[in-house]
Order: sequence, then structure tokens, then C-alpha cells
Amino acid sequence: MEEKYRHLYVVIEHEDGELLSVSLEMIGEARRLIDNFNIKYSLNEKVVAVILGSSIKDLSKQLIEYGADTVIYADNPELKDVRNTIYTKVIGQIAQDTKSLGEIEPEYANDVKRPRYMFFAADSIGRHLSSTVLAELESGLASDINKLVIEDIEMSHQQKTGGTKEMYAKTLEMYRPDFSGFLWTTILCLDNRNPAFKRDYHPQSCSIIPGVFEPLKPDSSRKGKIIEFIPVIDPQDLKVKILSRQIIKSEVDFDSPRTIVSFGRGIKDDPEKNIKLIENLAKQLNAEVGVTLPMSKKPYSINQTMDSKYMIPARVIGTSGHKTSAMLYVAAGVSGAMQHIWGMKDSGFVVAINPDEDAPIKNECDIFIKGRMEDVIPLLLEEIKKQIQIGEK
Amino acid sequence: MIFRLCMSQLNIAVIIKLEPDFSEGNVSYNPDGTLNRAETKNTLGPHSGIAAHAAFFGRVMYDAKVSIGTMGPPIADLALQQAQQISDAEELHLYSDRLFAGADTLGTAEVLRVGIGKMQGKMDIVFSGHRASDGETGQTGPQTAWKLGFTFLGNVISYSVDLKTRTIRAKRLISLQGTNVIEEIEAPLPVFISIDPTYKSSYNTISQRLAFQKYQKEATQRAGNYKNYFKVFNAKELGVDETLVGLPGSPTIVYKVERVPKATATRSAKVIEGSDPEQIRKVVAKMKEALSAMVIK
Repeated sequence: MEEKYRHLYVVIEHEDGELLSVSLEMIGEARRLIDNFNIKYSLNEKVVAVILGSSIKDLSKQLIEYGADTVIYADNPELKDVRNTIYTKVIGQIAQDTKSLGEIEPEYANDVKRPRYMFFAADSIGRHLSSTVLAELESGLASDINKLVIEDIEMSHQQKTGGTKEMYAKTLEMYRPDFSGFLWTTILCLDNRNPAFKRDYHPQSCSIIPGVFEPLKPDSSRKGKIIEFIPVIDPQDLKVKILSRQIIKSEVDFDSPRTIVSFGRGIKDDPEKNIKLIENLAKQLNAEVGVTLPMSKKPYSINQTMDSKYMIPARVIGTSGHKTSAMLYVAAGVSGAMQHIWGMKDSGFVVAINPDEDAPIKNECDIFIKGRMEDVIPLLLEEIKKQIQIGEK
Repeated sequence: MIFRLCMSQLNIAVIIKLEPDFSEGNVSYNPDGTLNRAETKNTLGPHSGIAAHAAFFGRVMYDAKVSIGTMGPPIADLALQQAQQISDAEELHLYSDRLFAGADTLGTAEVLRVGIGKMQGKMDIVFSGHRASDGETGQTGPQTAWKLGFTFLGNVISYSVDLKTRTIRAKRLISLQGTNVIEEIEAPLPVFISIDPTYKSSYNTISQRLAFQKYQKEATQRAGNYKNYFKVFNAKELGVDETLVGLPGSPTIVYKVERVPKATATRSAKVIEGSDPEQIRKVVAKMKEALSAMVIK
């Protein structure tokens, strides 16, 4: 059967000659999806890693070891740093290059026009790059995905199908948690089959939250194809000059502290007073302070200093923020939305403070202290002073 | 003097969004923890507000002309007024048509592209917020930039413009897993900037602070009469291609929304009463053990 769209392309990110772990995680998930896909549909489609940069050929071999069937690389000094315009153009060229698409699997070389699916990382680079690449390719993109399924979907949709029932085979179901963490929205990218405005929308694409999927164990015996792509570089696309790049330490550090104290909507009865308590607790435990995602949306009017210190995205623990494996994690007034759980579940010992015994956090902690934080934290502080002596930061 | 007049003109556009107001007292949650949209008030999105502040910086420093555009329902004029109060804009555009409803980011970007083209003057800088608080995709900005053919600069934390050479210098904050990088770049205008949540304008000299006060006063006056600056465009008035906007112009659809299934318990919590000092003493002992990595669960 003629199919214009084949394979799953994964856009790889790397920094300082090393692959970012999210790249390996995406390859791992792509491998699992495509293995099942090929069995289910008796096909021979591939996981294709796409990597751009300068002197990056050596990384290609690693990508094969981690599960890619094919690597398409564009190696050019102008691609040394990620600049949105030229990166978008080159990835756009690769996605529409029928020559390399044909080389991936000669069996499909005659028909294939574009990738079927495409993955990007949902980080500072991939979020924007995915947006512009898909604007360039005029297809659909779902962001911040944490679950993927490929299914045949039969549906009637007023706009997509003009109201008649249609089968959308091999559709990528892209699951994204909403801001609250309690809802999961499934996004589909579907061709318009409505005769009034027929249009193909491929590749079906998404950005994937770092840390969600497991990378495969590298296997040096894995074999794959490595294809060089020579990009067409228009000087017009090189207008951004990078003057300097400086690696900085974040003012919020979730990597080194052994303890994190986080808070959520449970502070609401007296936000300022409760944040003060949290601050004290964190100080006594030499801990960094984390927050849930809703806190970063500044829901309370509190003094400016506290607001700009704590109610900020940089402190968010969860899928929209950081993942921690602290030795001790204290969750005060945190209900335990999936969003947040994902960010703290690898912690060593978890203590939750919450008046509501039905809160989901109860299933994710070792000790559940039933009570309001305004009552519990002062007692904790007193005991900690007696029992635990930790040097100042 | 003539030379200066010609060269000093800087046109800034801001694209903004009306969003649920997540502040306590205005936000309403369903018993299951999800947002109750019907009961929640709306306001200018916080990231849109930061974009408006960045535009105001251009107003103060370079005497820029600011225009604001949004796609949304008629009540989105509230967000335009709020953004005008921040940015001292002299042009407010609302792109509103039932044909635009249900658009995904690509269908929205198309409306904004055409709308920005209708603003007075050729735009030198377009600002957008980092992402919306409700949708949280952060895609509309960069997709609008791409459709406009503007250089896209994401996560910008500060900027300055050289009016003579028509170039911008900006610092960007790039967070990758475990690493933050501050990148300083230079690019010729026009550019499209999505502003980082940590962006802060700083006005250091007395003349800058005086200009700040002057324009802030002007902004208050203008926002008080925002209707004088306000214009609504429907699909026909914009002249958009109807197959590229709204549902027809949207590759993606929301297929289903479900409650995230309750995770199976990964830990078995010991429940203790928070008011019992003896219990608290034991908790702290456990915490102490955990920190010395000797905890036995």
C-alpha cells in the first residue's frame, strides 16, 4: 500500500559534546513504540535520530547504541550553536528530503515524502524549535507529553471529516497533563479529510517532558545506518550572532541539597505566615524550598520579597519544573497531583503534612502527618532544634 | 534633527492573552482539583503582563510606539486595557470571530500574523509571553514569529536596541537538564521575542526614571479611555484565509480529557496525628535517620 509518511524522527539535543539525557529517553520511547508498531502492522519502519551541530559525527554511533536504527546528521560550523532560524530550516529540509528518507528503508523509497511522527524535547531549546519546525512544515504539534500510544481511531468529526465516519490508522495519541496535574488531555494531529478543506497534517509531532521515559541500556553491538545530510545554508538565516555563552548556577538548587521542603495550596489560610514557617523549617533542615505548579502562578497577594523569592517557576517541583531525588522530602500543604508526584517520587524519605487524609500525597509518602501546617510545623521546629543539628548553608 | 526623527522610530507590538485568573478569591476549583472555568474570573495572563512590561521598557528607553493584539472573545478587551495600562500602548487590536474558535496554536498564529500586519507601521519587535497559564504550550509565540518571517528569540531576560544600526542585543536564559546558560546575542531588527518569566526592566538614570513616570501617567490616562484606542477585527476585516484559521487551520484536536488515574500507592504511609508531640518526636527521629541514610522503612 502506498504511504507517503513513514518512520519516527527524533530531534536530538546535545551540549558540550554530550547527548542530553532527554535525547536518550526519547530514543528509548521511540524504540518501544516502533517495535510494537512494526509487529502490529507488519511493517519495517525505523527510529531515526536527527542531529545537527559541528563535529558531531561521533555522537551518531552512541545514538545507535541507545536504540536508533538510523542517524541523519548535519555537520557544519554554522550549526555549532543552536540558533532557531537556521536549525528550523535545516530540520525542515531533513524532514522533506526524500533522498535520505529513501535511504532509511529502500523498501519504501518510492512513496515516502515525510516522517510519520516527530519527537522533540520539551526544554528551552526543543519547545521553541518544535514550534517553528512545525510552523515550517505546517503540521500539528502537542507540547509537554508524558504518555504516547499508537492506535487506529475511527471517528466522525464535524470539521476534520465533514461529519462522516473515517478511520485514522496509526494515529499517535499524545497525552499531556494539564496545569493542575489532575487532568490528562489527549491530543491528536489528524489530516483534514473534510472535502471542503482537505489537507494533510504530517508529521504528527510532540515535545516530550524530560525525565519521563527511560532510556535503553546502551548496546555496542547494535547496528544502524548513519546518513550525512548536507544542508543548504542561506546567509539570510545566520543573522543572529552569539556574542557569549555563560553557564550559570541557578539561584534555586535542587541538585545538591539533601532535603527539600515544598509547599502548595495548603498555605492559603495565611500565606505570609505559612511561608515564614516553611522558610524556618527549611533553614533548620538546611533545605531548598520547592513549590507546586499553581504556586508559580502567584495566586496570593503577599509581600513582594516573598513573592519574587518563592512563587516562581524556578522552584516548581514536577513535570513543569524539576525532578528531585532528595534524601528527605517534606511536602507541606501539597495535595499530590500527578504533576508534582512525578517530580518528588524518587526522594528517599517523604513526610507529608496535610489535614486531608484523602489527599493523593498520602500514597506517596512514608509518614503522613495529619494536621494543618500552621499547627504542625511549630511542633516540628521545636523537635528538630532538639534532635537535629545541621550547619548553616 | 531630521536624521534623528527618521532613525529613532521604533515600533513594538505585543501579543497577549486573556486567561483564567489564578489568584485566590478569583480562581475556583472543582472538588476533584480541576479548574472550574465557569466560576473562575478572567484577567490578562501573567506572562502577557511581563511581555507588556518589556514593551513599556522600549517605550521609555526608545520612545517606541506600542501596539497590542489579541485573539479572543469580545470580553478579551479587558486584557487589552490591562496591557495598555502597563505598556502605554496607543493601538489595541482584538481579533474576534466565531470562525477563530477552537483554533490550535497554528490556527491562532495565522490570525496573529495577519493582525500584526494590520497594525500601524512596520513592526521592529514583537513580544509575546512565555506561555499561557491555562494552555501552557508556549507554541503560539514562536509559530507567529515563523509565519511573520521574523528572527525568533526565546527566553529573553533583558534587551537593548541600537537605533542607529537597527540591531538588538539580548540576553537569553536557556535551561537544559541540570544546566542554565545565559547567552548574549545580537540580531538585526525585526525580531520576535518571547519573554522569559524572570525578565525585569531596570531604569537606572534620572532621565530614564522621569521618562518612566511620564509614560506611566500617560498609560493611566490612555487606559482610562481605552475604547479610543481599541479596534475589533473579524475574519473578513482581517482578510484571513478561512482555511488557515479556526478549526480548519488547526492540525490538532483535543480527542479526550480524562482524570489522571489514581496512581497505585508507591509508599505505605504511616498516618500520625499532627497535634501529638510524642508522635512528632518520632517523626523527627525518622527524619534524622533519613538524613544519615540509615533509615529502615
